[in-house]
Amino acid sequence: MRSGARLATMSGMLNATREPAATSNGAAGPILVVDDLRVTFSRHGRVVHAVNGLSYQVRPGRTLAIIGESGSGKSVSVRALMGLLPPSAHIEGSARLDGTELVGLDDKSWRAVRGCQIAMVFQDPASSLNPTMSIGAQLIEAIRMHAPLKRREAAQKAIDLLKLVRLPSPEKRLKQFPHQLSGGMRQRVVIAIALSSDPKLLIADEATTALDVTTQAQIMELLVDIQERLGMAVIMISHDLSLAACYAHEVLVMYAGKAVEHAETRNLFSNVRMPYTKALLDAIPQLSTPAHLQPAIVGGHPPDLSALPEGCAFLPRCPSSTEQCRIEPHLAEHEPEHAYACWHPVSRDGSCTGQKEERP
Amino acid sequence: MAVTSPPGSATLSPAPLAGSATRWSSFRRRLTIWISGSVVALLVITCYLGPFVLPIPSPVGGNVLDSGLSPGSPGHPLGTDVNGNDVLSRLIHGGRSSLTVGVVVNIIGLAIGGTVGAISAYLGGRADSIIMRALDVLIAFPSLVLVIVLAQILGPSLPNTILALSAFSIPAVARISRAATLKVMSMPYLQAAELSGSPWWRILSRHVVPNIVPQLTTFAMLGMAIVVVTEGALSFLGLGIPPPRPSWGNMIFEAQQSMSATPLLVLWPSIALLVTVLSFNLLGESIRDEVTGR
Amino acid sequence: MSGATTTPAAEKRTRVTENGPAGEQPEGLRARLAGSPVLRLVGRRLMIVIPLLFVVSALVFLLMEALPGDPAQIRAGMDASEEEVEAVRQQMGLDRPGHERYLSWLGGALTGDLGSSVVSGRAVTTLLGERLPVTLQMAGMAFVLSIVISLPLALAAARRPGGLVDRFVMVCSMTLLAVPNFVMALLLVLVFAVGLGMLPAIGFVPLAEGVWPNMRSMILPVLSLAVPMACFYARFLRGDLVEQLNAAAYIDTARSKGTGPWRILWLHAFRNSSFGLLTLVGLNIGALVGGTVIIERIFAMPGMGTLMLEGVMSSDVAVVQTCVFIFAAAAVFANLLVDVMYAVLDPRVRYGSH
Repeated sequence: MRSGARLATMSGMLNATREPAATSNGAAGPILVVDDLRVTFSRHGRVVHAVNGLSYQVRPGRTLAIIGESGSGKSVSVRALMGLLPPSAHIEGSARLDGTELVGLDDKSWRAVRGCQIAMVFQDPASSLNPTMSIGAQLIEAIRMHAPLKRREAAQKAIDLLKLVRLPSPEKRLKQFPHQLSGGMRQRVVIAIALSSDPKLLIADEATTALDVTTQAQIMELLVDIQERLGMAVIMISHDLSLAACYAHEVLVMYAGKAVEHAETRNLFSNVRMPYTKALLDAIPQLSTPAHLQPAIVGGHPPDLSALPEGCAFLPRCPSSTEQCRIEPHLAEHEPEHAYACWHPVSRDGSCTGQKEERP
Repeated sequence: MAVTSPPGSATLSPAPLAGSATRWSSFRRRLTIWISGSVVALLVITCYLGPFVLPIPSPVGGNVLDSGLSPGSPGHPLGTDVNGNDVLSRLIHGGRSSLTVGVVVNIIGLAIGGTVGAISAYLGGRADSIIMRALDVLIAFPSLVLVIVLAQILGPSLPNTILALSAFSIPAVARISRAATLKVMSMPYLQAAELSGSPWWRILSRHVVPNIVPQLTTFAMLGMAIVVVTEGALSFLGLGIPPPRPSWGNMIFEAQQSMSATPLLVLWPSIALLVTVLSFNLLGESIRDEVTGR
Repeated sequence: MSGATTTPAAEKRTRVTENGPAGEQPEGLRARLAGSPVLRLVGRRLMIVIPLLFVVSALVFLLMEALPGDPAQIRAGMDASEEEVEAVRQQMGLDRPGHERYLSWLGGALTGDLGSSVVSGRAVTTLLGERLPVTLQMAGMAFVLSIVISLPLALAAARRPGGLVDRFVMVCSMTLLAVPNFVMALLLVLVFAVGLGMLPAIGFVPLAEGVWPNMRSMILPVLSLAVPMACFYARFLRGDLVEQLNAAAYIDTARSKGTGPWRILWLHAFRNSSFGLLTLVGLNIGALVGGTVIIERIFAMPGMGTLMLEGVMSSDVAVVQTCVFIFAAAAVFANLLVDVMYAVLDPRVRYGSH
């Protein structure tokens, strides 16, 4: 049932791709500039390189999807932007939000940024709300953290926020507790908390992974709608390509803590160049292709982040690797608006065959 | 779900990184196990072999003329007590009583309580609720109160002290064993074993017992500390090991009466008790952390 | 809740909630009362607690039968003739069969007659009236003090796990936890009474003779009881808080709101850790009661503990029976109270978890 719903989404994937945002937004400078971000953990005497020189920009009103397997560093990279990494994490490079450098902020400055300028929606709505506090208390806490409102004003704003996220009968919800709400409703509350102080950047870290497929679509539509109304920038972290294809303006594919391909959504899916991205796409089951004819899924294992090989990290799993791949390829715009890091990009006609047949 | 991650892929998510112990703390935990374990071993060796190996006088039958010798007196490194008995010798023999009581009570508790708890959880239903109600009754009594009454009924002696203390050790272990068994029973692999038709004795011996034994043994370490303290309290009240046979508890009681004159006599057995309890607590806690991988 | 092992009380709780009666719904106020999960929980727990107390009282009675010493002989005096002892025995009703005597004791107990001391001949209820307030005051103060000490220590330690404060609190609490309360009492007496002469070594001054003298006589006993308990609670709470901070997703949500570290600790993590602490405190009431027995003995406090010990030593059945039963009942009701507080504090129980 689940895969059925997914296939339905996939078939309409490319024509549903979001058009680049309106020119007025497009002209604005980037709200977030990440430059050569590196995150390492020291663990049992080994150094784990979770993020290895990640660079990207996000403009207001735009959605960037960061895609990758578990352990590709996608989640770590955004948690670094929120200052949510444990003290054992070592962060280098630069991430500037509206001109403010985030790397190396002290605890106090972090509190002014978090919630106020960047907000985050987490993966599991079942555990990301405090089970012992009412919805209202959690929402009002967020509102009053950054705005000097009286309790009653904050309560009114809480109701407005719950209306914004289209939670039915918001007045009643304030007194309820998380366990009395369904998963989708809880995620709406988490989004309301995130929106409480008009953030410039919203990070959705696998925000729909724990929800069932219909709720998933509702929550994503809600996010898109709110973004269009409020004009904020969104980074969505996912391992679900179809979700990215439907809801993101641009897609960044991460592998072993690095960006390996980065382009406008339409560009990327119609013209995949990085073999890893292609492998991910091929791994999606297609109704049009019988199971036995479908290409093999990505073989091998994700790399050990504490002992990365020289050269391209995807080399051991790559079907088209050569000696040249022992030298690390760098992410560069080999084509206009399409950056990838590969010596042997997938040829135009060989890419995404399954997708093209699906297009009407 | 994992469309994009290949089957069998070893995932390295950031979550375990966040809560994991660093190398230093796991090293420190091992060190704690080694140090506290060594202290426990040293205690056991001193108390059980000491009387045969060390040149110490008898713990009883001292000459009153030798009473109250200060530490460092010839032949009495820690001095003598009010009855003229050698303090070091009494400490070692007293430790032997305490450890014997602790070990035997815990073995009885583990054997009876552990079995009752595991069987109760395994049987479930009516049998389980009857057993648990019976244990509820025993647990309703504050342990020391029950032990005091039992000790008075049985009369003061070493075996009776052991019996009285077992009365609170058995239900405590049974509860832990039952909770641990219930947890194992809810695991999918156990249901798989049941569905595949393994006989009950095989399920118990292969799946349940190996999974609850680590938890019970670490509890036994903490239980040692509890039993040694309770034995001390009981002997302190004159209901445990009867004088002249030394025990840390009755040594503290005897010394208490002349506390202002010779405070050291209170301190020696107190320190012995503290070191014993501390090392068993540390050993139990660090083994538990090691097992649960915290 | 936390990932800690299931505590017996928590386990009992789930068992209780499973077989909830879904009886008919009366109307009006009664319906609302019946509909309140808290009251339903109290009702269900009472259904267990009341029979439990009867069984406990029967067991106490059986234990008393086994207590050495013949009450009739004691009452009649050691040099009484056999006939005299027999007469006393009949007068006390000790010649009747056991179950009859139990029932008459039970009947008396339910109507407020607990018999009289074999040794002093005074009514047990009178003795209780004198002794119970002393123990209640001591145990109550120790209880409050242990919580008051442990909460700030645990919160301060959990603020920076592995930091200086944390290590200091953990090392101190581990060491003090290893000091049994009767040793703690003697050490405190050595330092504050014998050494510094600041406080009385033994004895109890009733509240009627002034608040300060009463407090002075209470300080050392209360400290001996409270310090080991406080260490126990502080260690547990610190561990649970750190686990919440490290593992719980709602902590991330709170952090990403911009909430400060202390507020996160106090408002978010502590709220969730408090349930585990509550269970622990409830289970520990038995240990507190046991502790009062030995501490009262050391400080010669005229409380329930000394009353029981004197009774045990002199085979004063009526006294021991009452004391043991009251101690057990106190522990049982403490756990009942914990369950109720659980229901009041935890919204998942309060509103039912559907």
